[in-house]
This record gives sequence, structure tokens and C-alpha cells, in this order.
Amino acid sequence: MKMPVSLNVVLLVVGSSLFYTYVGQLVPQKQLMPPAEVLIAADLTTDQMVKVGFEVVQQKGLCLTCHTVGKGGAGLRFPDLAGIGDRAKSRKPGMDDVHYLAESLYHPDVYIVPGFNPGMPVINKPPIGLTDTEILCVIAWLQSLGGTPSVTMTTKLPDQTQG
Amino acid sequence: MNPRLLIAAAVVVLLGLGGAVRVYLALENQAYHPPVRSTQVEQGAAPREQAVRDIAKATETKAKAKKYEPPTYRTFPVVGSRVAVWIVAQLHLMFAAFVLAVPMFAFIIELIGYFNGDKRYNKLAYEFAKLLSTSFSFTASFGGFLTFLLIMLYPAFTNYMMEIFSWTFIPYVMLFFAEAGFLYSYYYGWGKFHPVVHLFLGLGLNLIGTGIMFIADSWASFMMTPGGVSDVGALIDPWAAFDNFTWMPINIHRFIGNIAFGGSIAAAYAAWKFLGAKSDEERAHYDWMGYMGNFVAISAFLPLPFAGYYLALEIYGYNQALGIMMMGGAFSWLFIIQAVLIGNLFLAANYYLWLGMGRIQGTQPYQKYVKYLLASITICFAVWATPRSILASVSEIKAMGGTLHPALGFLGVMSAKNTAVNCLILTTYVSFLFYRRTGKEPTVSWAGIGNIIQFLIFAGVTSFVIALGIYGYFVEAAVRIQLSIPQVASVLFAMVAMTIIDAFMLRGARETGETHWGKLPNISQYVLIFIAVTFTWLMGLMGYVRSGLRQHWHVYGVMRDQSLDAFTPTLGFATQIISVIVIIFFAFIAFVFWLSSLHDKPDWGSDGHGSHGGSSDGAHGGGH
Repeated sequence: MKMPVSLNVVLLVVGSSLFYTYVGQLVPQKQLMPPAEVLIAADLTTDQMVKVGFEVVQQKGLCLTCHTVGKGGAGLRFPDLAGIGDRAKSRKPGMDDVHYLAESLYHPDVYIVPGFNPGMPVINKPPIGLTDTEILCVIAWLQSLGGTPSVTMTTKLPDQTQG
Repeated sequence: MNPRLLIAAAVVVLLGLGGAVRVYLALENQAYHPPVRSTQVEQGAAPREQAVRDIAKATETKAKAKKYEPPTYRTFPVVGSRVAVWIVAQLHLMFAAFVLAVPMFAFIIELIGYFNGDKRYNKLAYEFAKLLSTSFSFTASFGGFLTFLLIMLYPAFTNYMMEIFSWTFIPYVMLFFAEAGFLYSYYYGWGKFHPVVHLFLGLGLNLIGTGIMFIADSWASFMMTPGGVSDVGALIDPWAAFDNFTWMPINIHRFIGNIAFGGSIAAAYAAWKFLGAKSDEERAHYDWMGYMGNFVAISAFLPLPFAGYYLALEIYGYNQALGIMMMGGAFSWLFIIQAVLIGNLFLAANYYLWLGMGRIQGTQPYQKYVKYLLASITICFAVWATPRSILASVSEIKAMGGTLHPALGFLGVMSAKNTAVNCLILTTYVSFLFYRRTGKEPTVSWAGIGNIIQFLIFAGVTSFVIALGIYGYFVEAAVRIQLSIPQVASVLFAMVAMTIIDAFMLRGARETGETHWGKLPNISQYVLIFIAVTFTWLMGLMGYVRSGLRQHWHVYGVMRDQSLDAFTPTLGFATQIISVIVIIFFAFIAFVFWLSSLHDKPDWGSDGHGSHGGSSDGAHGGGH
């Protein structure tokens, strides 16, 4: 039996669309929610700040979209963060680790790690828009990667705008 | 049974049902109602009536006392606001792309016909233009629908966009009037004006259409990469908002993409007409039209990935996190779906070209290469569609030593993918070159050297592209990203240089075989329709990634999406919506095709000989 042309065309259009929809079901299905706000108490200890900092890094900060932790090699687009707590102490002469890490978050283009291109967003501005307290916690977590966290909730940073 | 008993039973059942409904409603209505006591009973009014009046008055007073607060969002029933806007916006874009693209190649084909004096070109250009008027109306209708939906569902966002872009609205509307004027005078004036005047109308139509697109692109690109505003979104520099980071890359990408899309839809129209053709003459005409439409589509499609690189580069330049989210984050799997679509497009386009060789005598010298071309396309397609990491069970991950496959994992990175797509483009170009040469024998004395030079260019560029791809594995990211530029440039160079050599080499070539238009199997026409569906689907997919990339932002980094739809849906859901859009689009475009075909039908009540329009218009009557 010969099928009418119009029916063939309808079957082709619908069939092709269904095929592509099927391909779409084969890839990983992930629903992205807006980053959750992390509630930060004013009296956190440094150890607690490290934990909160890791939460911020994973969620609101989107840091791990670009950075890796513990992955070496030539294929990286952005510096790997493993050992940053140690490297930060001597990265810039005359600047301690807390101030170096703060500078790299508030003014990421001031110092570019050799072998990489500029690309880090200013972290306290939209679209990331971390608060000063969240940044303190992120610094605590960064210090914990190969170093000893020393930052506290009362640490004052040059670029802090909030109280 | 006694009929009286039956009636009595029915009445009892009905009364019972009524009672049940009444009881149900009474139970449902459990909200607390304060007792209303009339304070002043009007003369003659029963206490209950007075109470009802008092309630109405109290409600009115309450409504009057309420302070007006403009809503931030409203909700579209059933499917929700996002899906409603998504579908209508994408349909508007598809029709707009078609309406902008068709005049471009109608104008060029008409221009070729004007210079070479071949009336067939004029007829072909007119055939393309016939699709325009209804499509233009649909574009405007969907545009209006979209505007109303935005005002209705996203009033705060729409207000903000008006704050930034209100100065562009009047020029946009004026251009739209001009577009309508040029389009209808171009279409209805076919054969009625001097050819140069008509060509001028076509040129004007294209320029104004492009201007309209440029303005609309500034709105869409601003949402993704806003410029000219402060951190809190206040307008500082209107021109910087207009000429934002991705405005020009999107202009270029859409300009080329529209031509590819429009060409494929026009080819699908020709295929549909071919399949329903009653005579060899009709089949020959629509075979040629389909070939030209597909030629336009594929010619525009080949440089499209390069425009895509430029756009992606600017997205990375604006915000690295945005770029990484696109290519390495949540949207990276979308590009695997894209690879399947583009791989299918290349396969189908090459298959059509190989089938097309069958309509030309003297095809044997080139047919033996088809299997190698097919092998090349298949390998490139497989590399391109290889994901960086794969879905695997715990035991499979253990066996592989990670989520990356020990061998195939190396193919899932940009070095391999860029190389594959460049080789895919080169292979398709060679298919086209073979098709172009079929049935022709060069007569120039340097033909042998010309062939060798062409082969050396092809082999040299292919080796160069592959070598850069391999080199990319051994250098740091900053260097690797830059390698795509020489890869792209060398492929473009190869295509341009080989075309120039071929054009000179085939000047005065001896015809070794005649082209028999219309002598093509029907499957070739279904391939053209498949290409059109795939192009449309691809357009829907890329529209989704461009818009979805903003995630929970209406305007990235400036205006956050606080609605119920602020999340980014799964790719599976997105593909379902895209398929719905594609099927709706084809339903509308089928209507456009049907309306266009009415043009050639005999008048109602005529004896079947007096066809109107199609045979008496300027396109057929040699007005040019």
C-alpha cells in the first residue's frame, strides 16, 4: 500500500522530533536550583567557618565550576586549589595569606597566577555577590587547604563594606 | 417493568443526587463567615437583602482602601509562565528567521538571473518570495503575542527592559512599517517594475530586515551580558547597553544561522512540491529549487560554527563562569545533543549530494570516493558526540579507574571536538566539490597542476588541523584556547582557495554528461525535509542554551528571577518543549506552504484552464 505524501511528511517530522527528544532523555538529568543562602551566625569558631566556607564554595560561590581541588596537569583552565593555604603565605612578598586571599577574591585581576589568563569574577559583586562574612568563611576554607586557618569572624579586611 | 415505577424511580434518583450535591457544597463551604447584622434596615427591605447589601458595601470599602501594588509576576495557567513565553518566543524567532532569510537569497537569485538573463532564476526567486507574506503576518502575530505575554506575566522585568531600551522602540516600529512596505511591494510588484527598481526593493527589504534584527538582538543579548548599567542595574550608558558584549556576535551568528535555516525550510517546501508533482517539468523545477535551497542552507551552515566560536569567546570574555557553565558545567551535555543534531545534518547533507550525483551523467569518477567520505564523516561524528565523562555504575567507574573512559575519555575534550568539526566541514566541502565537478571535464592546460594544488591544500590543511588538535593536549589552557583560531582560519582558507582554483579550472569545461533535473529518487526529498526538521530543532536547542544560560537571572547579574520558575529545568524537559515547538512550527509552516500552493490552483468555478497568478505574473511572464 502506498502511503500518502502528507502522512509520510507528518510521520517524518514527528518521528525526527521524538528521536531527538529521546536523545535528550539519555543525557544526565539535573535540575539547577538558585543557590541557597547560607545562614552564618556571628559567633562562629574558625573550624565552623571552614565548614561554612566549603558550603559557600560549593553553592552560592560557584567556585568549583572553574576551580579544581587536587587535580594537577597541563589541562587546567584555572589554578587548582590544593595547597593554596600554604602557597598563599608566600605568593606575594610582604603580603600575608589572609590579605592575599582577600585580594584574589575582591580584586582578582591584580595578581594573575603565571600560566593562566584573567577570568575570575569580582566575588562580592553580582552575579556571585558574596557578602563580607561569606568571604571570610571562604578564606578560612582556602587556608585549610594545606595551611592552618587563622581568620576569625572579627578579622577586618581592607575591602569590607558591611559592618 | 411498569413505566410509572421507572419514572418514579428516576425522580427519586434525581432528587437524591440533588440532595447529595447540596450537602456536598454545604460541607465544602467551611470558610468562616462573620455574622452580618444589619445596622439600619431600609424601608421595605427584608433583613437578608439588607445583609447582602451591607456585605457588598463592606467589600467595596475594603477594595477602595487597599493600596495598589504593581505585581511582579502573574501566572499562566496549566503550563506556567516560563513555558508559555518560551514557546511563543521561539516560534516568533523561527518565523522571524525565515522572513529575514528568504529575501536574502531571493534577492541574490534574482540578481544572478538579472545578470545572466536566465528566466529560471527569476521564477525561482519569485517562488521563494511567495512564502513571505503569510510568514510575515505570523512573525508579527507571534511578536505581538510575545509582547503581551511579557507585559502580562513578567511586568516588573518588562518595565525594567523599557527603562533601558525605550529609546529603541520607536525606531524599531518605524523599521517594521518600512519592512512591511518593502516586503509587500517586493512581492506584489514582481514583474511590475523595471528590474533595477525591483532589485532595489529587494535590497531595501534586506537592509531594513537586518536593522530590525540588530535592534531586537540588543534586547536579548543585554539579558545575557548586560552593559551600560550600574551594579544595581541603573542605566548609565544607553549605547553601551545596546552594544553589549554579545550583541555583535549574536548579530553575526543569527545572520548566518537565519540563512541556513531559511534555506532548509525553502528546500523542504520544494521537496513537498516535488513529491506531489504531476509532471516531469514540475519535478525538474522543484528538484532544482530544493537543490538551491539546500545549497544555500549548507553554504551558510559551514561557516556557522566559526560564528559560534566567536559568540562563545565573547561569553567567556564577559564572564568566565558563564562560559564554563555553558561548555563544562550544567549545559555541557546539551552540546552532546547538539553534536547528534549537527552530525545528522552533515550526514544528511552529504547523502543528498551523493544522491544528487545520480542526476548527472558521468558520475562514476567520483562515486568511488563516497565510501571514504562516509567513513570520514562517521569518525568525526563519533568523536564529536563523545562525552567528556559518561554515566556509569559504581563497578563500571571502578573498572575504568574514574568517570573518564581510559581511551575514549581523551576524545571528549575540546581539542578533539574542534578537530572533528573542522574535518567534518572539510569533508562536506569535498562532497560539494565532487558534486560540482560531476559531468564536467576541465579544458584548461593547467588542469593537472590545479588538481594537485587542490589536493595539497586539502591534505595540508587537514594535517595541520589534526596536528593542532594533538598539540592541544600538551599545552596549558591559555595556549590551547587560542588554537581553535588557526584551525578555523586554515579551513576557511582551504575552502576559499579550492573554490577559486575550481572556478578558474572549470571555465569553458567540456560537458561530459547532462544534468537531468527531477530524475532523483523520492528519498532525496525526504532527506531535505529531515534536514529542515533538524535545523529547526537545532535552532530551538541553541535558543534554549542562550536563554537558559542566565539560570536564575532575568538579566544576568542585574535582575534576579524571583518567580516560581527561577530554577533551570532538566535537559530532558527542555527537549520535550523544543519538540513541541518544532511540531507547532511545522504545523504553521505547512499552512504557509498550502497557502502558497493555492496561488497555482485554478480559480473556483473555472474550467480548469484559467489558472491565475502563477502563470500570468511577472515571474513567468518575463517581466524582467
